[in-house]
Amino acid sequence: MLCYNCGANLTEHDFCTNCGAEVGVYKKIMSSANLFYNEGLDRANVRDLTGAITSLRQCIKMNKNHVDARNLLGLVYFEMGEYVAALSEWVISKNLRPSKNIADDYLNMMQSNQSRLDIISQTIKKYNQALSYCYQGSYDLAIIQLKKVVSLNPKHVQGRQLLALLYINAEQWDEARKELERCRKIDINNTTTLRYLKECDSALDIEEPLAAPPKKKSLAETITYHRGNETIIQPLNARETKISNVVFNIIIGIAIGIAVACLLILPARISAANDEKDAKIKEFAEQVDDKNSTINSLEQEKNSLQSKAEKLETELATYTGEGGTISSMDSLLNAAMAYLSNPDNTTAVAEYLDQIDSGFVDTSTETFRELYIMLRNKIGATVGSSYYENGMHAYQNENYDEAITNLTKAFEYDNTNVDALFNLANSYRKAGDKVNAIANYQTLVDSFPDTEFATRAQSFLNELVVD
Amino acid sequence: MINFEEELKKFHPSLEIEEATDAIYNQDMTDMADLLVNMIKEQRVVEQQMM
Repeated sequence: MLCYNCGANLTEHDFCTNCGAEVGVYKKIMSSANLFYNEGLDRANVRDLTGAITSLRQCIKMNKNHVDARNLLGLVYFEMGEYVAALSEWVISKNLRPSKNIADDYLNMMQSNQSRLDIISQTIKKYNQALSYCYQGSYDLAIIQLKKVVSLNPKHVQGRQLLALLYINAEQWDEARKELERCRKIDINNTTTLRYLKECDSALDIEEPLAAPPKKKSLAETITYHRGNETIIQPLNARETKISNVVFNIIIGIAIGIAVACLLILPARISAANDEKDAKIKEFAEQVDDKNSTINSLEQEKNSLQSKAEKLETELATYTGEGGTISSMDSLLNAAMAYLSNPDNTTAVAEYLDQIDSGFVDTSTETFRELYIMLRNKIGATVGSSYYENGMHAYQNENYDEAITNLTKAFEYDNTNVDALFNLANSYRKAGDKVNAIANYQTLVDSFPDTEFATRAQSFLNELVVD
Repeated sequence: MINFEEELKKFHPSLEIEEATDAIYNQDMTDMADLLVNMIKEQRVVEQQMM
């Protein structure tokens, strides 16, 4: 035992001979820990696993560094099918004593065998699934899952106990009792097992059979006599057998045989057939269960693939659709081609440029944007004045829709054309579109202040706002 | 008589292998020896303050 203060070896004294620290209580705690460990070991040896867990946990509460207690506790957990708890104890033990530790072997044994790990993982998952079925009230499915659990690991105590509880709930007392007996073979003193067993026994009304006292034949029921040297004992009521009696007995025997066949063999056969049918039903239920889980996973996969496909289709549409990347690129190339072929053919260039969405220009590459702006600047003045003339002609003819279209374009191509903007706002006003009229007058006032157009625009603006 | 619903509540899902790391990290590793050592240290501090 080492001193908690300086780490020196402790002697029989209640103080550390090296640093003088008081170690009386500390030594008592360490002794108590050892006592609990020994108790745990004794209990584990007689398969009182629950008791062993209690003692070993107490030991660890006293001394967390008790490597042997942790190793044994891990073994006990492993024996009861509580794998993660076992792993935890062994990992901590390994950390406390990295070399010459049996926990190393246990961990290697678990980790080296992938199929064993898979079985353990499956067992845990199926047990949790069964518990989930129980919470949902699907007790039949829970029983099927738990049967799989105990077939994967016959020592899974909790699985067997839960199975027994479900049998008790279904009043299948014999089945429950079988499971509980198996539990008791693994862990003899588990209180849950014992409580359920008591319930089963009371339901089955099991009592110790009373031993019947052997009957002694009364000497009075026999006649004893001597013939020569032999002593003959003859029953008092013995009768001589007659042939008619023999035939009668044979007939009675055959009748009893037939009755026994009908009463015993036939129900057994029926029961066997029923069992076979039940087994098939359970097998089908398991298959349905597996299929359902496969369908669920496939459906999830399908949904994710569908969403991916939709996403890709959307992405593709942004490339190939109207106003998409490819369409806009085509329009820009056509505009460039038209301009290079004939720089004076500004109408054709403008038509191609108009096909490009202005929103797309903002998000496109720098080269695309530069070429677009360059082409617009090249044809801007000419096209802008052409649109302006058309717009003003339409305005004078009171064709305000056409005027709005042309004047909008005129201002887009030449944003210094304040006349176009003013007449655009007027067109909106005369067409009865107050909102756009106000917006355009406001733009004019903001962009071209201190001009005559701004003064006139402000007066229209005041009128429209008052209205 | 066993109350099925109440008994069912006593069963809890098992930790899965993937959750082992969390289980190890979340273990309360304080033992009685730690408590004792802390108490002794606190007592020493109090004694020093008194002096």
